[in-house]
Amino acid sequence: MNADSCRLQRPQRVYLLSADAGLKDALSALWGDGHLEITHFERGRGAIEVLFNELPDLLIVDHDLPDMPGLDVVNLVKSENVYRQLPVILAIREESLDQGADWCSAEVDDILILPSSAARMKVRIFLTITRASRAFDANPLSKLPGNTSIIQRIQEMIDRREDFALAYADLDYFKSFNDKYGFSRGDEVLMMSARIIVNTIRGFTGVRSFVGHVGGDDFVFILPPDKIELACQRIVENFDSIVPHFYDEEDRARGFIQSTDREGNMRTFPLMAISIAVVLNVNGRLQHYGEASQIAMTLKKKAKENPKSCYVLDKRLS
Amino acid sequence: MAEDLKLERKDQILAAKDLPTLPKVLDEVSRLVKDPDSSTEQIAKLIAMDQVLSAKVLKMVNSPIYGFPGRIGSIHHALVLLGFNVLRGVIVSTSVMDIMNQTMVGLWEHSVGCALASSTVARQCGLKDVEDISVAGLLHDLGKVVTSVQLPELKTGVEALVKTQDKSYLEAEKAVMGFGHDRVNAWLADHWKLPPPIKEGMSYHHKPQLARLYPEVACCVHLGDFLVRVYEYGSGGDDNVPYLEPDALKKLKLKPADLEAVLDELSEKFLDLADLSFT
Repeated sequence: MNADSCRLQRPQRVYLLSADAGLKDALSALWGDGHLEITHFERGRGAIEVLFNELPDLLIVDHDLPDMPGLDVVNLVKSENVYRQLPVILAIREESLDQGADWCSAEVDDILILPSSAARMKVRIFLTITRASRAFDANPLSKLPGNTSIIQRIQEMIDRREDFALAYADLDYFKSFNDKYGFSRGDEVLMMSARIIVNTIRGFTGVRSFVGHVGGDDFVFILPPDKIELACQRIVENFDSIVPHFYDEEDRARGFIQSTDREGNMRTFPLMAISIAVVLNVNGRLQHYGEASQIAMTLKKKAKENPKSCYVLDKRLS
Repeated sequence: MAEDLKLERKDQILAAKDLPTLPKVLDEVSRLVKDPDSSTEQIAKLIAMDQVLSAKVLKMVNSPIYGFPGRIGSIHHALVLLGFNVLRGVIVSTSVMDIMNQTMVGLWEHSVGCALASSTVARQCGLKDVEDISVAGLLHDLGKVVTSVQLPELKTGVEALVKTQDKSYLEAEKAVMGFGHDRVNAWLADHWKLPPPIKEGMSYHHKPQLARLYPEVACCVHLGDFLVRVYEYGSGGDDNVPYLEPDALKKLKLKPADLEAVLDELSEKFLDLADLSFT
């Protein structure tokens, strides 16, 4: 195994629930130099309270705990939505595998067969941690990176003083579409928008780019400043030509829909449009992610004044 | 025909994986996809000439994986939504069967011609979604291709009947299989979740008067099919000019003068098309 192939980005806090002290030593030795900060509990009950108050990055539970079944601990943690994303590995002996555990209801993310070689243990733990971090922040609908990754990426580029254009896109009249046609039709539109943005941005090859999904009808994308205007044009053009197909025939022909507004009054709404606000960071003018999003929100208001699809570039920084 | 035999044949047909496509189109699309300067429009235009690639691309973009089944009928839109990576995958996985190509060349020309004729009619009638109608025209005989790939022994029987008894391809299909390519088209369209207008155009192009949801699409393809036969461009598998349903003209509100305009436009376009040979 390549020594670097399983390098952890940062130290990982691991809770180990096991009466087997040898397992703790084996884990500590895997990366050396404190890359796994292991808190060791010999019993299940004592660990649960600590766990509920402070979540680790990874939980490793021994199937054979002295005071309660390991799977019970896992299910306790996983039944609460706020703890659910915590990746859990069940450490189990080969002979216990046959004892009819209910794997369907056991929400473990992986298992570690004991005894295990150090190399195998290392790969398993590494994969579980990286898989969890990938799944954790993805938007459940579009599977695009979510807020944590977006902020991380922007701050990273700011810190490196890299020039970039950051675009915030959202849909006009999405809510009235959703209200009239229902959320599953609304989701179709979001999926379509995500595909248009992703493919347009990927069309710019050989440059560093990024697409994220903040949530709902809010998307973010990053390109070098000299590419951004063309990208916005293409997105607007593609969106406008495709979105009518998501309306019922008669609404499409009319060019608007009737739906209730926030006050509950019947109103007509135009077909959906896409608004894009672009913040430029050149010569390291931005210091912090917050500045970028603040400028973007101001620009977005301007873009929203136009009921048609449009983009607004931040002229102050260009 | 026994219902279970029909069901069995339907299952065999829907198991279609390796549909034939024309290697020249494939090469050209691969080249454009690799070239960063090429536009989606250029690629869409090329893909729109091949019914098998078109069907595959539409099938994929309308599959539940992308989250908007049955919405996309335009090749250009499909390419925007799928992206080049997926398109590249579709092309790579499209296997070419040389023997099929030889027997399908006439049908390919017939299909491209029908797409052209159907969309010209649609434009003349001032219809929206001309591209959907063009796609329906392109795919109107896809059932013939898929049937001959999946059930080659039946194809031989159909062809023999066309030759010896001077039946139309559709009549021969019905005599041999118990159903025609129009029925196969409907199965394929459902199976691939193609948008309803395209499905109606594909499955009612022989009986446009029976189309309920999008009669104008079916009528355009019906007329397109007729016109391309009149011009003797390509081959639909037999030498007959199909019966022109008078209702189709009525439904499209086409007057003789309009039809003449269509004929004039088509004769020019067919000349252009004849220059563009892929074989």
